[in-house]
Amino acid sequence: MKEKWNKFISAAHGSSWKVRLSAVVMGGGQFLYGSYGKGILYFLLEAGIIAYMVLRGFRDIQGFFTLGTQKGDPWLGTVGDNSVIMLLMGIFAWIIVAAFFYLYQLNLKDAWHTQKIVESGKRPLSFKEELAQLMDKKFYITVLILPVLGVCVFNVLPIVFMILIAFTNYGGDIVPPELVDWVGAANFEKLIALSQFAPTFFKILGWNLLWAVVSTILNYFLGLGLALLLDKECVKGKALWRAFPILAYAIPGFITLLAFKFMFSYGGPINQMITDAGNMATGFLDLDAKWMARGIGVLVNCWISVPSIMLLATGHLSNRDMSLYEAARIDGAGRWKQFQRLTMPFMLFATTPVLLSQFIGNFNNFGIFYFLRGGLYVDGYFLASDTDLLINWLYNLSIDNNYYCIGAAISLVIFMITSLISLVIYVKSPSYREEDTFQ
Amino acid sequence: MRKNVSVGKILDTTITYLILLAVAFVFFFPCLWLILASFSKSGSIYSFDGFFPSQYSTASFVKLFTDTAMYNYPKWFMNTLLIAAGSCALGTFLTILTAYTMSRFNFRMRKPMMKTTMVLGMFPSFMGMTVVYLLMTQFGLINHLGGLILIYASGAPMGYLTQKGFFDTIPRSIDEAAKIDGATNFQIFTRINLPLSKPIIVYTALTSFTWPWSDFILPKLLLKEKNLYTVAVGLMSLDETEFARFAAGSVFIAVPIVILYFCLVKNMVNGIAEGAVKG
Amino acid sequence: MKKKSIALGMAVCLCVGIFTGCGKDGEGAQTVQSEQGGQNGQDSRETEQPSVVNTVFNGELERDVTIQVLENDTAVSKGYFAELIEAFNEKYAEYGIKAVDANMDQYLDLANDGPYGYGPDVLYQANDIIMQYAEGKHIYPLPVEKMECFAQVPETAWAAYRIDLEGTVYTCGVPVNVQAPMLYYRKDLLPEDWETAWDENGNKIPDMAENWNAMYAWSVRRHGENSSQYGYMKSLFDVYFSSGFLFTYGGYIFGNNNTEPADIGFSAGEAEKGAWVLSQLASTMNEECIDDSITTNAYSKLADGTYFATITTPDMYSTFLEEMILVYEEEGLSKDEARAKAEENLVMTTLPALPESGDLTEEGASFVDTKSMGGVNGYAISAYTKHPNACLAFVEFATSYDMMVRRSELLGIAPARNDAADTAGGTSQLLYNNLEAGNIVLMPSIKEVSQIWTPGETFFIDLAKDAFRPEGEKKYTDLDAMKKGLEGVDQQIYDAIFTLK
Repeated sequence: MKEKWNKFISAAHGSSWKVRLSAVVMGGGQFLYGSYGKGILYFLLEAGIIAYMVLRGFRDIQGFFTLGTQKGDPWLGTVGDNSVIMLLMGIFAWIIVAAFFYLYQLNLKDAWHTQKIVESGKRPLSFKEELAQLMDKKFYITVLILPVLGVCVFNVLPIVFMILIAFTNYGGDIVPPELVDWVGAANFEKLIALSQFAPTFFKILGWNLLWAVVSTILNYFLGLGLALLLDKECVKGKALWRAFPILAYAIPGFITLLAFKFMFSYGGPINQMITDAGNMATGFLDLDAKWMARGIGVLVNCWISVPSIMLLATGHLSNRDMSLYEAARIDGAGRWKQFQRLTMPFMLFATTPVLLSQFIGNFNNFGIFYFLRGGLYVDGYFLASDTDLLINWLYNLSIDNNYYCIGAAISLVIFMITSLISLVIYVKSPSYREEDTFQ
Repeated sequence: MRKNVSVGKILDTTITYLILLAVAFVFFFPCLWLILASFSKSGSIYSFDGFFPSQYSTASFVKLFTDTAMYNYPKWFMNTLLIAAGSCALGTFLTILTAYTMSRFNFRMRKPMMKTTMVLGMFPSFMGMTVVYLLMTQFGLINHLGGLILIYASGAPMGYLTQKGFFDTIPRSIDEAAKIDGATNFQIFTRINLPLSKPIIVYTALTSFTWPWSDFILPKLLLKEKNLYTVAVGLMSLDETEFARFAAGSVFIAVPIVILYFCLVKNMVNGIAEGAVKG
Repeated sequence: MKKKSIALGMAVCLCVGIFTGCGKDGEGAQTVQSEQGGQNGQDSRETEQPSVVNTVFNGELERDVTIQVLENDTAVSKGYFAELIEAFNEKYAEYGIKAVDANMDQYLDLANDGPYGYGPDVLYQANDIIMQYAEGKHIYPLPVEKMECFAQVPETAWAAYRIDLEGTVYTCGVPVNVQAPMLYYRKDLLPEDWETAWDENGNKIPDMAENWNAMYAWSVRRHGENSSQYGYMKSLFDVYFSSGFLFTYGGYIFGNNNTEPADIGFSAGEAEKGAWVLSQLASTMNEECIDDSITTNAYSKLADGTYFATITTPDMYSTFLEEMILVYEEEGLSKDEARAKAEENLVMTTLPALPESGDLTEEGASFVDTKSMGGVNGYAISAYTKHPNACLAFVEFATSYDMMVRRSELLGIAPARNDAADTAGGTSQLLYNNLEAGNIVLMPSIKEVSQIWTPGETFFIDLAKDAFRPEGEKKYTDLDAMKKGLEGVDQQIYDAIFTLK
């Protein structure tokens, strides 16, 4: 840190007035050193950001703190402050400010760099050459700029927003045009103080983990197994065989779930066959059907998820280095050995992220039990049923009731637990640590 | 000795086919049930003999496509097709590029970015929906199909880890050879790696095409006019007595996806397995 | 069919649930304020004409404007709505006012979409929904005293649309029709000797349609004679219909006229007797009453004669009728004959009376009127409209005598207008009378009502399942157990509303 600072000081001392101009007018130094295109670009950026700040940025940042002062009334036609929009715009303004500082620092570094190049008697890169670099050495910047921007706006911004909401009193009675306020950690205190909370939380967490592990393993190995089976030489008409799971995949999940719910209901075809055979109708998914309903949930989830894993695994399998298999065969390794030693490590390596995202997806699988067995509160659970996952419970408790701030607080807690688990697994996994194993 | 091998082989083949038949049955039966239900004459699922209808007719489908005054299925279908095609093209492009970059380039922000995206995926998505709605009102993109494409395509790169796993298994030696020949990174990507990654492109395209067909939370949120509905939202808005229409409509969703699959299937297995470009 | 409740659940919960936040205008807070204000401003009520009403509805029709009207799907699909806007547009052509179909989801959330300009100008909805909007000031209060229909609509119906905000009473909607559960049964499936054996009071109405004891007895007999046939069938699961049985014996949803969420009364009074009645009825059905199977298959099973009777809302009449016509056509009748026969055989009437004791097998029981959950649907005007006066003209037009009679003819609904109900006659009149007699408990219009469904459903499922549990495993063997069960429901609803408040 100190070293960096010293370096900065010495650089500041050694910089020419042109570089110092860049500290005031971004791009000024570059312009004077002959990098016109870049200089103008930096200048325009600065001008744009300043214009934004003057026109609305400062007001938005102020709004971020106050969350509105004027209440609206549709009957009188008065348009008041909308706290949520103000929060959103406030976050946006902060992002712009952060971007400005980043650009500013980039600009200084670049001006200093240009000075060094000119001092050493070389010509700074022309604008065109810099652009060309974006297609080659800095290709990654060109490529990543759009996805990163999109993800920031539609994924990161909402998450930041919801995290901030956990520290406000938004929800219940307090929704726009009522004004929202910051309340600090009050929501979390409320959660800790609830005595009914803990027993249900741990019961559901236990089932939720079991569910996520079982479904992930089952989905993954069935998908992989299916892909391997279809990869065998003796199978003719592979495209057709693969089409059956694809058909299942092509029908939207919610329709599948509704169809399965109907199939297993008292009036559904399965019970009709049971009663026609003279037996008592079975409540596959009803109140008392704890483990049966859970089992059906796991199987239905398999039915929905296996096709896409099979599809993916098929793609990956075709990327194997077949010469290794030949070598193995010559060494006399059997099929099982080949699978164990070659296929499995390769697939695990290539698909750890898939496994993880499957795990997360299953952990947070809202739809499956909502559609299959929603609308039940079971004894021994606090406002939840024995098949509910944490996300369903969160929904019952907060969203269904409009208690957004509490919902945000609970999801923040769940989020921290799950992200910690999967981050540790991911960072320890070979596909993160040894990315080049198979290259 | 020779005979033993062939007996084993026949046995192996038989078992393989038996399993395949079972798998096909498991996946096909519920679909078949839905398909036949949509051809049911009575239009009610309660007049079936066991699993299947007793009488068939195409009336539901005719009604689905001709009786559009109230429920304009053809229009919903075209809307969804447009959204799906748009977000498929854009989303696949962005995802593949992101995955490729994260696999091939080494830059300072790489590992932090990988960890961040990992963590971001874990936030319960419906919590963020309120914000997406607010954002879209601010952008003026409510009641615009383009708004949906924008969101689907922007969200797609979040899942790049899957594709990155694939690129990680393509040998780097190929890249290096090309680099020595003077190719730029852009050229290496388009000329060498892209053709090698057909299977994963197919996978990405299929998944990003399928998503808009089944998602109904987002379109429900952003499309208020019935003429702009997607199939999923439209089906959910059907009156409760419209079962036949519902069944027919939900079966028909699968058609474009299955067609797309058959168009792309020949690219599912790529050249590298055949040893065409071994480094 | 299965999908509906779930679909709605999902759509409404996720979208409405999440979004009401964007603009529900802090209903609760308003309520608190209004309660305080109400006490201070007690005497100013009624006398003071709410000024906001006169400012907004100044009587000057906006010219050359288009107003977006959101009707319910049935009105659109049966062609009534097209007729309505055509007639209106013709009449107001000279002002250039044009009404069009808003073409939006009939269950849209005005609180969410309105503030951003994506809502309709005029909307048709149930009273509970409209009044939730009113609490958030998303719809305008209306000058109803000046409207032509004012005198024709009963006070009880208007009351459903009154709200007390900051000490002033506003009326925020115009009643159109009354919704409450109705009994549907097949006349041709009555026992052949019903006129002698099943009509004790000799009024030419079978006893099954008059009291639940006869209905129960007939159900037992019909199922006993042929095990694949049933008498009365209805999923207990459905809180909307099942809760009426509790209300009859003193149960209620929220205290203080459904406005006090802290006072939950599913177990109040002798509500357990209602639960007992339900469990007796369940024992004559099959397991399908546990989940929503019967609710969804009743249309076709009533038509094919498997079921003798069921209950649901009056707007489903045409669906039942069409199913029956299909069956008759299958049997070889011509279209007209089939329709005539179906209309002859399908009867829709008000609910039978319940025995005071709750015992369906009691001989010579004394009966009380069955109460049921219901609603008053009507029109409201969005507070985000730019043309309030044109909207008012539309509402005025749509609630006129002619249009109401037409609506009732085409949709089979029970008009809230006295003169139109008279003209429509039959069940409309009966429903209208039931509303006036206070037998229809209107859905609470506070948002906490969304928390009653899951606990209620769970209890009714358990109760229904109990009828099919083997002896010895039964949970609800006596009234005390049922009372305890209902108290559990109250507690769960309370928890759901207040735990995180």
